[in-house]
Amino acid sequence: MPENNTSEKDRDNVIVDVKNLNFYYGSYHLLKNINLYFKKNSVCTLLGPSGCGKSTFLRTLNRMNDYTEGSKLTGEVLINGKNIYDRSVDVVELRRDIGMVFQNPNPFPKSIFDNVAFGLKIHGIKDKDFIVERVEKCLKYSALYDQVKDKLNKPALSLSGGQQQRLCIARAIATNPSILLMDEPTAYLDPISTSVILDLINSFKKYYTVIVASHNIQQAGRISDYSGFFLDGELIEFSEAGSFFTRPKDKRTEDFITSRY
Amino acid sequence: MFTLKYKDDLFRFILSVFVLSVISIFLIAVAIILYYSYPAIMKYGISFLWVKEWNPPKEIFGALTFIAGTLAVTFIALIFAIPLSFGIGIFLQEYCPHFLRGIFTVIIEILAGIPSVIFGVWGVLVVVPWLRTTVEPFFDKHFSYIPFLRVSENIGYGILAASIVVMFMILPIIASITKDSLASVPKIAKDGALAMGATQLDVIKDVSLPYALNGIYGGIVLGFGRAVGETIAVVLLIGNQAIIPKSLFSVGYTISSLLANTFTFAVINPIYASAEVELALILLLISLIVNIIGRNILDRVIGGKFNRSQFGGG
Ligand SMILES: Nc1ncnc2c1ncn2[C@@H]1O[C@H](COP(=O)(O)OP(=O)(O)O)[C@@H](O)[C@H]1O
Ligand SMILES: [Mg+2]
Repeated sequence: MPENNTSEKDRDNVIVDVKNLNFYYGSYHLLKNINLYFKKNSVCTLLGPSGCGKSTFLRTLNRMNDYTEGSKLTGEVLINGKNIYDRSVDVVELRRDIGMVFQNPNPFPKSIFDNVAFGLKIHGIKDKDFIVERVEKCLKYSALYDQVKDKLNKPALSLSGGQQQRLCIARAIATNPSILLMDEPTAYLDPISTSVILDLINSFKKYYTVIVASHNIQQAGRISDYSGFFLDGELIEFSEAGSFFTRPKDKRTEDFITSRY
Repeated sequence: MFTLKYKDDLFRFILSVFVLSVISIFLIAVAIILYYSYPAIMKYGISFLWVKEWNPPKEIFGALTFIAGTLAVTFIALIFAIPLSFGIGIFLQEYCPHFLRGIFTVIIEILAGIPSVIFGVWGVLVVVPWLRTTVEPFFDKHFSYIPFLRVSENIGYGILAASIVVMFMILPIIASITKDSLASVPKIAKDGALAMGATQLDVIKDVSLPYALNGIYGGIVLGFGRAVGETIAVVLLIGNQAIIPKSLFSVGYTISSLLANTFTFAVINPIYASAEVELALILLLISLIVNIIGRNILDRVIGGKFNRSQFGGG
């Protein structure tokens, strides 16, 4: 087994703890015995070539794979000490504390305002003033407010790709989740939008635990506190960003970092 | 030598011929209708639209009775059909267990293809007796003070009988298009809502339906088209009397059922024939107008700017 995580002694502040996680698409054994943990208020990047299982792994953390027909999962994902695959867990409830941002910007076919307010509304918040205030705040956090403040009632899909992605971020943080999952959030964006979003991620660790899937080493280097490397569904290495990028322990990680994949 | 460019041009030319011939057949049909209705348009002018009398021996012709009957049957059928077919479409796509979905879908597709005369016969044998023995007595007893629900001749035939049967004819069309439109909603859009802790109902209401609205609207237009022009089933059920329906249970006449019943005699007298062709023209215009108004409403509802193509795969 590869040597994951730093050492057992600094396990305080662990918020997500993944234990012996295996995931199967039908008979295809994709994620192979994954063990790692994420700490509160840190940014972790999960690197690896396309197809190595990053998206699937992220989706095991908020049980979005539940809908994939024929999939199977073994092992545990503990969030704040509770196994989210426990029968007593209500998935709808679980996801309210975990925001997710997808590779393709996917705003709802609604106005800009309603997109950000969506989470609050489905969580049963009725207080108009609170909603307005929260929407504004989140649009400011995600560096979009100045560009959209005069057209909050315009369809979200009329925004540019980079703006749509920032809107999706605003939408994800509106309900104040403790964990933010981001699946290659800059994959389809231009360099300027990408840079804006990377800065956002950096500023977010004050409030959230951010877990980002990425295949871009430079970008990951800019934001990571911790980094992991996946290859063919295996977690090859996971460590603090400093040592991960400068002194990787595994040859395969080194090859990836020096772009040999 | 056939160069690639040449093949491309040839293909484009053949396609253009197809398209142009369809358009010209349509235009020729419209021209013929205009040509034959011209004498009536000249003789009766615009008042043709609101004159109630239809008296072939005296050559007094007014369209209002038939316009009213046509609109009544069409809209009552749609009012029943739309919520029901939404329910069926949503159930099939979002809630139905997989193995049943296929079976139900096939049943609905078969229903959509059944010839309308069969629906008409079913209406006469089942719907009319049910209205006569159960529904009409009930409304007569409890709601006779509401003019719109008054039962004057408890015979079962009439606007409601025709509307119910037409509803069953358009139900499968709207339901299967609702289902297909929901099926084409990008998964990534639904995932976005689920990941926020939305329930399945939230997802349908806030993501799937807004996305599918365009397609569903197309289904409603198709259903409208079938309802407004439906002939045989309506002839068998509506009672075929040229009176303007004032109640759900009243008898009536639609443009298409009038033409089906009388056009063969009408051709003997040119002005009679011309008046009936003018009715056909009105039917065509109703379809066009409803289409245009519907499209405008829809554009306003969904903002008209939504662009599905922004959701790629990946
Ligand atoms: N729904 C699915 N059914 C079967 N195989 C899948 C499914 N989704 C993804 N896969 C496969 O799992 C592998 C990992 O996919 P993914 O987690 O998306 O990787 P990544 O995000 O690292 O590119 C790929 O080989 C992909 O083809
Ligand atoms: Mg991926």
